[in-house]
Formats: sequence, C-alpha cells, structure tokens
Amino acid sequence: MAYDKKHSEHAPSGQHGGHSEEYLREKHLMLDPLPRGQMNDMVMESMLAKPTWKFWVVASLLAAIVAYGLFYSWGRMIAEGLGIAGVNRPSYWGIFLVNTVFWIGISHAGTFISAILRVFRAEFRRPFTRAAELMTTFGLVQAGFSIFMHMGRVWLAYWLMPYPNQRMIWPNLHSPLTWDLLAITTYLLSSTMYLFLPLIPDVAMARDRSTGWRKTFYKTLALGFRGTEGEWTHLRNAMNIFAFAIIPVMFSVHTIVSWDFAAATRPGWSSTIFGPYFIVGALHSGMGAAIAVLAVIRATMKHMDYFIRGEHFDAIGKLMLIISMAWAYFFFNDYMVQWYGGDVWTKQLLHFHEAGPMGWMWFAMLICNIVIPWAILWNPKWRATPWLVATVGIIINVGMWFERYIIVPISLSINRMPFTWRLYQPGVEIPLGIGTLAFFILLYMIASKIIPLIPVWEVQEGQMAHELKKFGRETVVSVSELE
Amino acid sequence: MTESKVDLLAVFPDLEPAANAIEHLRSIGVHDECMNIISGIPVTEAMLGRPSQWTNVPRIAMGGAILGFGAGFFLAFITPYLYPYPIKVSSQAFIPGPPTVVVLFELTMLGMLLSTFLGVFLDSFFPNYRPMKYVPEVSDGKIAILVECSHVEEKKVTDALKKMGAESVNPAEAQHL
Amino acid sequence: MATLSDLKISEVKLGEEHTGKWGMVIDQDICTGCQACVAACAMENNLSFVGEEDSGYGRSMHWIRIERFWEGEYPEVKMTPNQPMMCQQCGSATCEPVCPAFATVHSQAEQLNLQVYNRCVGTRYCANNCPYQVRSFNWRDYERPEPLPNQLNPDVTVRRRGVMEKCTFCIQRIHKAQDKAKSEGREVVDGEFTTACAQACPANAITFGRVDDPESMVSQLAKRSHGVKHLEELGTLPNVTYFKGG
Repeated sequence: MAYDKKHSEHAPSGQHGGHSEEYLREKHLMLDPLPRGQMNDMVMESMLAKPTWKFWVVASLLAAIVAYGLFYSWGRMIAEGLGIAGVNRPSYWGIFLVNTVFWIGISHAGTFISAILRVFRAEFRRPFTRAAELMTTFGLVQAGFSIFMHMGRVWLAYWLMPYPNQRMIWPNLHSPLTWDLLAITTYLLSSTMYLFLPLIPDVAMARDRSTGWRKTFYKTLALGFRGTEGEWTHLRNAMNIFAFAIIPVMFSVHTIVSWDFAAATRPGWSSTIFGPYFIVGALHSGMGAAIAVLAVIRATMKHMDYFIRGEHFDAIGKLMLIISMAWAYFFFNDYMVQWYGGDVWTKQLLHFHEAGPMGWMWFAMLICNIVIPWAILWNPKWRATPWLVATVGIIINVGMWFERYIIVPISLSINRMPFTWRLYQPGVEIPLGIGTLAFFILLYMIASKIIPLIPVWEVQEGQMAHELKKFGRETVVSVSELE
Repeated sequence: MTESKVDLLAVFPDLEPAANAIEHLRSIGVHDECMNIISGIPVTEAMLGRPSQWTNVPRIAMGGAILGFGAGFFLAFITPYLYPYPIKVSSQAFIPGPPTVVVLFELTMLGMLLSTFLGVFLDSFFPNYRPMKYVPEVSDGKIAILVECSHVEEKKVTDALKKMGAESVNPAEAQHL
Repeated sequence: MATLSDLKISEVKLGEEHTGKWGMVIDQDICTGCQACVAACAMENNLSFVGEEDSGYGRSMHWIRIERFWEGEYPEVKMTPNQPMMCQQCGSATCEPVCPAFATVHSQAEQLNLQVYNRCVGTRYCANNCPYQVRSFNWRDYERPEPLPNQLNPDVTVRRRGVMEKCTFCIQRIHKAQDKAKSEGREVVDGEFTTACAQACPANAITFGRVDDPESMVSQLAKRSHGVKHLEELGTLPNVTYFKGG
C-alpha cells in the first residue's frame, strides 16, 4: 500500500541552519523524480487495483442512496408536484437553490486549481489538477440536477433554451435565470473540455498498457494521440487558451448566480457586493472540498502518497486560510452596509438571522467559516496533516452550506408583508440533497477506477523543471520555465 | 515516378541524445520536414532545435469567438423583434442595456472555447483510429524520432542514429494503437 | 450653464405621472373582514382547494387575502383595520423581468400584469420578487371532488401543478364587458361590471373601475387625501389605493 520511501517525522536541518538536500527531496514531489515508466505503472496500478470489499460496500450503498434519494424521490416529485417538498410562501426557493449554489461553489475549486494556478505557474498544482477538474465537472452535474429539481414543470425545461420554435418566443433576456442558463451551460461545457484536453496524453499512456475492454475504451478516448510535435503544439496552445479564458467564465458564473438574489427587490438580497462575495464563498467551499477529496484519494488509493504529499496540503491550507479571510472581509462588508442602511425590513431580517429560531445556524456559519479555519490553518505543521486539513475542509463546507441556507430560505422568510412571514421546513429536499451528494461521490469513485487521476506527463514536466541549487552553503529549490 | 521512401523510427532515452541526433541528421542531409518527434511530454521545438510548429488553434479560437459574438448579438438584439407582438416587461427597455453585455460575453466565451476544442481536433486530425507509426515506449518518457528517407539512404541514416545513441532503430510500420 | 431644471429627470416616470387603466380602491375602515371577497374570487377564478394541511403551511391558494393585524397583548388588544391584499397590478412590476420564459408580462392594452399559465415552467422567481407576496403556486394537482367540477367557471382556465397564478382583476369580466359594449357600439360604462371581490363585498369596501377616467367612481374616490398605495417607495407603481383611518 504505502510508497516505500519513509518520510521522516522530524525535520532534519543541514548543519548550517538550512534544510538538507534529502529533506527537500522527501518533502517536494517535484524534487523527488522517478522514471516516467515507474510513475506510469504506479498510476495504472492505483487505477487497476482490484476493488476491495469496502469499495463495493460503499459503492453499492451510494448507488442505493442515489436510486432512492435522487431518482425515486425526484420521480415522485415530478409525478405529484412540488407539494412533497418543503417550499412554501414566502420561501418559494428552498434547499434546491441552496444546493445549486453549493455545488456550483464546489465546482469553482477545480477551475481555480487547474486554471488560475496554471496561469500563475504555481508548481504545487501539478499532481492534483485532474482530481480538482473532475470535481468541477461532477459538481456541475449535481448543480444541474438541483436546478432542474427546483422547477415546477421540469418537463418543459427545454423552453428556456434559445432556439426557433413554434411557440414564437425566445427566452427572456431580462431575467437573471436566463443568464444563469447561458453561463452554467458555458461553464459545464468548457470545464468538461478543459478536463478532457490534458487527459488525452494520459489516456494514450493508459491505452499503451492495458488490454481487453479497457484497451478499447482508452483507445477511443485517446483519439489516436501519439505525441507528435504537432499534436503537442496544438494541445499546449489550446490548454493555454482554456486556462486564461475559463477564469472570467468561472467568475461570471458565480456572479450571475449571485445576481439571482442581488437583482431581486428583497431586503437582505439587494446587495451590490454579492458578486465577489459569492465568488469568494464558492472558492472557500471549493478548496475545502478539494482538500477533503485529496485526503481521501491519498488514504485509499495505491501509491498516492508519492504523488500527494504534505507540501500539497500545506499549500492548499494556506490558500484556504487566505480565502477564509477574504470571505470574512466580504461578509463583514455586506453586513456592515446593510446594518448601517437602517431600512426597517433589512433590520428586521438581520435580527431574524441572529436571534430568530434559526439563529444557531448563523453563529455556526461564522464558527465553521472563520473561527475554525483561522484557529487551525495558521500552523504549518497542522496544515501539512492531511486528516486535519481535510476535516477543516469539510467543516468549511458545512459552514458554507449554512451560509447559502441563510441567504435562501431563511432570508425569504422575512419580507415586506409581515402577514406572510413563515418558516421553511424541508421535505423531500433532504433525500434529494443527500442523493446529489451520494451521486457526486459515486461518480468520483467510478472515475477513479477508469480515469488516470494523476496527470503523469504534467508531473514529469514539473520534475524536469525543478532542481536544487546551492547559494553559498544553502541548498534551495529552483524552477526553470519550460513552457 | 518517385523513388520509394521508408520510415525509420529511432527511440532515444533522453532529450540530449535526441537533440544531438537531430542535429547530426540535418548535417548528413536529412531535411527537417522529413523528421517528426514523438514524445510523452510536451518537448518544445527549441529544446530539440527544431523549426517551430504551425498551429491554427488560436486562429480557430478567434473565429469561434467571432461566431459566438454573432450568436450573442442575434440573441440579444434580434430575437426581441421576432415575436409576433412586442413583449414588454416592467418598465425595462425593450432591449435591455446591461443584460445584453451578459449575453454577449457568455456566448463569445462559449464560441471561443468550443472552437478551441474543435481546433485541436481539426489540427491533429482527431479522432483517428487508423493504424499509425508509433512505439509505446514513448509514453514511458522516451523520445522517438520518425525519419523519412529514401531506400538508398536507409543504411546511412540507421547507422547515424545508432551512433548518436538510439536504443533501437527499426523501419516503422503502421500499427493499430 | 446647467440650471436646476436641466437636471430634471425626464425619462423616468414618477409615481404621480403614472396612470394605469384599471384600478381599485379599498376602504379598510369599512372592511369587516368577512372573507366574502376571498370566497367569491375562488369561485370566479376556479381556484383549487388546497386543504387544511397545505394551507396551514403557507400554501393557501387565494388571489386575495384579508390580512389581520393587532397590537398589544390580550385583553388589551388594539385591532388595526383588516387589509385585503391582492395583486396590485403594478405599472412597473418587479415580477415581470425575472421570469426566464416570459410567463408574466405587461399587457399594453389593459395595463395589467398578465400571467400566462401555459408558458410558466415554475421557477417561482416572480413570487420571490413580488414585494406584496400575492402570487400563489400550484404545489400539487389538487383534488376537486364531485360535484365541485360543475361549479367551474367556463371563462377561466384551470391550472395544473407547477404553475404560478395570481389575481387578474377578473380579466374575463373586463373582456366580456368590452365585447358586449363593442357589439352594442358604445364604450364600457363605469359601474357596468365589476370584479368578483367587489361584487361580493357586503360593505362595499372595494371599488373597481377605470383610473384613467377622471369621472369614474374609482378615480373620484382615489382623490381623497388619505389614500395610500402600498410600498410605493419601491417604484412599483401599484394600481390599488387603500384608505385607512379616514
């Protein structure tokens, strides 16, 4: 199971205060190169390893949850109407929209890691860009499910697509929901393509070393890729364009999601800072989810402790801390201005958030999103402990889910017509929500068995670019720009 | 008629010998266009001293962006006139100002990214499941040089490649990948 | 040099300048809270019967509701007048632009907010964005046991699950009156017809008519000084005037 090199517990220092060469090599994947063939074998082995009985138990449990929670419950809701859910007047939007925002948030981590970190040449990204991109695509699938569940007449959802039709009508471009449809479609398509492009060389690798149905599968996916100069040039150019262009798309998606709320005439929603606030919130939950996924991959899959190391958890942990601070900043900014505005309904709403029947959630949100991350992530040693940062990541996700719950159904409970004020109690939303979560995990488990999770060629490229350099008595890491 | 040609596939363990071999081949009169490199990582042309590769991907992407912008323009500015009667919502303008920016942006990006993806397919002739000249060792990090030469030169080129450190030099045969 | 008058915003219609077409005046001082309007509206417009449980959970299906407020603790209770609340047929409605399917639009001819049932896909954005919270959603296909179907109004469609609906100012009655007047070669006379709620009100607390006709009953009443429009500050330009404490 374990990668055979022992990682030393204590941090050995060189005689003169700096770190020794062995320590640096053990710490950094990029300085600890293995022959490409060996890395290929490790990735193939981790993927082809015969699933243990635990895998089957978890997978069948998840499949059962998906079958009941997602498909059966949804079918029942389509047949009977939204009445079996908890949405009511005034909370016309319930957990469906909470989950939509939540999953779109999760999906932002993939793009952040594989596009923004690529653009800024953050080398630690290399081994887990694919794992993060998979989260983007699978998260968006769940967001799509949630948004379709939310519709009263989902069988007419195609009416929102712009195409010439006999109804002589086109979608209403005044509506933030129409922008949402355009933005989420764009994002889903482009993130799937961006997942696929860097995958081509890796499935070509898998094709060269597999037999049977897998051979046919990888051969089909590899599209006949050989690795000629031309193919690499086209691929590199395309990935470069994607890395830059998908960043504004990602920003636009969550901004538009925030406009669903901010454009409405409602106390608490009508806030101009919602765009960046939502983006930071999305990254907050996304990074938390990414680190939890990485910890699970590392703990359960063969050879992953070679590719994913403490340094990666440390690096993402740092990002999480910064994002948590940014989230706190935006939260306070939003709160301060709403509070100062003095609008009677907004005041009422803020009071309801904190002291209403769901006030515990408001405080839990602040603890999960700010207090716990700050209390733990400042410490480099704790940051590099996979289970600990993964736990923080999951706690952040709980906190961010609470945040969306407060923004959607709780804020909807209070409006300008006090006669209609009423609390929201989720109904069939709960199995449906759990169903999307189970489906996400199940898709990921299946993908881990058929898709090389580590972009081996990117890791090798990085290892070529890194070397140790001596400045006087100190050994330091240096990186050359190959691209 | 043209003389018959033969393809040689030489496998090199590393970048350095491959670059040297390319230089040497050039010196014995093999043209750059008769060579192709197959590698498991993106080796840049500069590393091997090869002429830079032409790619249409950025141009195709630009074309797609223009098409996408056109589609966005159609949606934002033309479709409101296609209804049998003008539809008015609230006190907003018939063609709303700021929302058109959103539509134009999303469709431009969609057009650009879709065509970038398509560009890779077009430029690389994907998907392509015909037999091709290839050695699987490439995905293990080896660098293969595919040389096209005439039958007369075959011996000379093979010897040259061997001398420059090729692990193996074989006449390439198209095979199913 | 720019003068103050140059700065006057000419394009934005302010509330006072706006006149709708159809409007309503509701006198809260004489409303007894008897709910006759609620029942009449339900009969006229084929509303579903949602039952006790759903109704108690905030899914009541009423296009008009009587809002009842009180101040203080029992027995020192001070009732404020009952407040019938229905779609205010805003001149600049917030519900309209947010629908992705154009299912709720502004009628140019009647100056009303239309709800197009067969275009609605049920995103419920309009209901969230309605500051008056007067839209009702069909959460289920509600049962209509025999012989209740015999009571259905043939002039009004029935709605199925997943569709939003709201007060229409009894647009079927408006059209009927207009058709009758047209066939007789005349204009619709004020007071010739009225909405179901106004017709049923035993205290005559609801008056309906043309607000763009200064001679009409509703215009005369609306001129009274203590008339207010709800949430006027949002710029929704509502077409219903309320009297309270006159």
